[in-house]
Amino acid sequence: MKKIVLSALMSVSFLGLIAQKQITREAYLKFYSSTPVEDIEGATNKASSVLDLATGEFVCQVLMKSFHFEKALMQEHFNENYVESEKYPKAVFKGKILDYEKAIDLSVDQTINKKIKGTLLIHGVEKEIEVDCSTTVKKGKITQESVFYVSPADFNIEIPGAVVDKISDKIEVTFKAGYSPL
Amino acid sequence: MKYVCIALLLFSFELSAQDDLLDLLEEEPQIEYAFATFKGTRIINLQSNELPAEGVMQFMIMHRFGALNDDFVYNFFGLEQAQTRFSLDYSFKDWLNVGVGRSSFSKTYDGFAKVRLLRQSKGAKKVPFGIVYYTTINYSTLRWNDDLPHNESERLSYTHEVILARKFSKNFSLQLVPSFVHFNLVEDRETPNDIFVLGIGGRYKVSNRVAITAEYGLQLNDNFYYNSEGNKTSYNNALSIGVDIETGGHVFQLHATNSRGLADPQWMARTPGSWGTGDVFLGFNISRVFTLKKPKLPEE
Repeated sequence: MKKIVLSALMSVSFLGLIAQKQITREAYLKFYSSTPVEDIEGATNKASSVLDLATGEFVCQVLMKSFHFEKALMQEHFNENYVESEKYPKAVFKGKILDYEKAIDLSVDQTINKKIKGTLLIHGVEKEIEVDCSTTVKKGKITQESVFYVSPADFNIEIPGAVVDKISDKIEVTFKAGYSPL
Repeated sequence: MKYVCIALLLFSFELSAQDDLLDLLEEEPQIEYAFATFKGTRIINLQSNELPAEGVMQFMIMHRFGALNDDFVYNFFGLEQAQTRFSLDYSFKDWLNVGVGRSSFSKTYDGFAKVRLLRQSKGAKKVPFGIVYYTTINYSTLRWNDDLPHNESERLSYTHEVILARKFSKNFSLQLVPSFVHFNLVEDRETPNDIFVLGIGGRYKVSNRVAITAEYGLQLNDNFYYNSEGNKTSYNNALSIGVDIETGGHVFQLHATNSRGLADPQWMARTPGSWGTGDVFLGFNISRVFTLKKPKLPEE
């Protein structure tokens, strides 16, 4: 009897762990700066993210060098002059879905729109942000999407006078990730 | 047994309460290639290890004013005289760049190719320095000023360079460039056709957009000619110092050098002037890049 209880307990505790954490290493992240002079876009599909269905906790991280641009020189300047990716290689977001009362049921197709609150770390500077996010369950698969805005100034990213017309102070970030159970 | 159960419960509780989900994202180290070892494709006169990216065309203007010791005020600090070189190049691949140029000195056309053979990297693959091969062929179109019979091939000269470059830190980069220069035609019977040169170049970034640069072309064999008085005269080694300023789409390089020639065989092996006697030329390089083929951005 005791053995049965024990193994049941073990499997429950591990099953719970396994099914409730969802992971991806191929999340899509794009940022887009638009000014009358120039539009600049950088994108990657190599961001990684974990979503804990039990608690609503969410993390995402990306290597700055994985962003690609439509001009090679933009990419070089982005890494070399703006985000200084040799010194600060990663951007990290760590947060939690707000009002997350019960675990999302993967057996029901649904879309849940909520807010995520957490800290975003870019260029060695942490900032608390709260963004809209939609979580979709379809055929047992879970995806997350979010669009929000950040400002280079909030992360001590200096924009010199000569290019101040080319880089927006409000940069649109798009996040899209499809998860698999861990 | 009870304790085992409790321990297990605690254990599982602790596991699920483990709040750092980031630990789950630990990744295998990746190959990190060094980038932006130098700002431009030339440090000053010397080729750097940089190639424009695939699909990028580069237009470059190199300009040297007159010598500082040549009637300084009368010639308005040398600004009234100039040597120029224009060049246009294109990168078919990230590792292959070809181009053409024209220098006013000796009215020379040149064609060149630059091939990246090895990239400096760290992380999963450690390579301490990068290797780039560069070669040019130069064709002088200066009219002959004698009545001797000449072959067209006498107008040709060549260089081969192996560029060994290392980015030591974010700010400091250094390269060694063993080079070989060959002239089909030389001034005197005794002047060597082949000159071996060790190019040395470096840069130190003083801010994100400004760097101090210097380079030296050390000639390894005796390279001389007989001057108008019939005295044996050695060509000097070219020493140049400069500043790189980066502004968005182009790099602006300002410098002082004792070499007036701009095509590779000229500055490496045909520099008569020296810093000691004030045979110094102020100058600048400007490059502008055009993205002809846009790289594909990653998709969702």
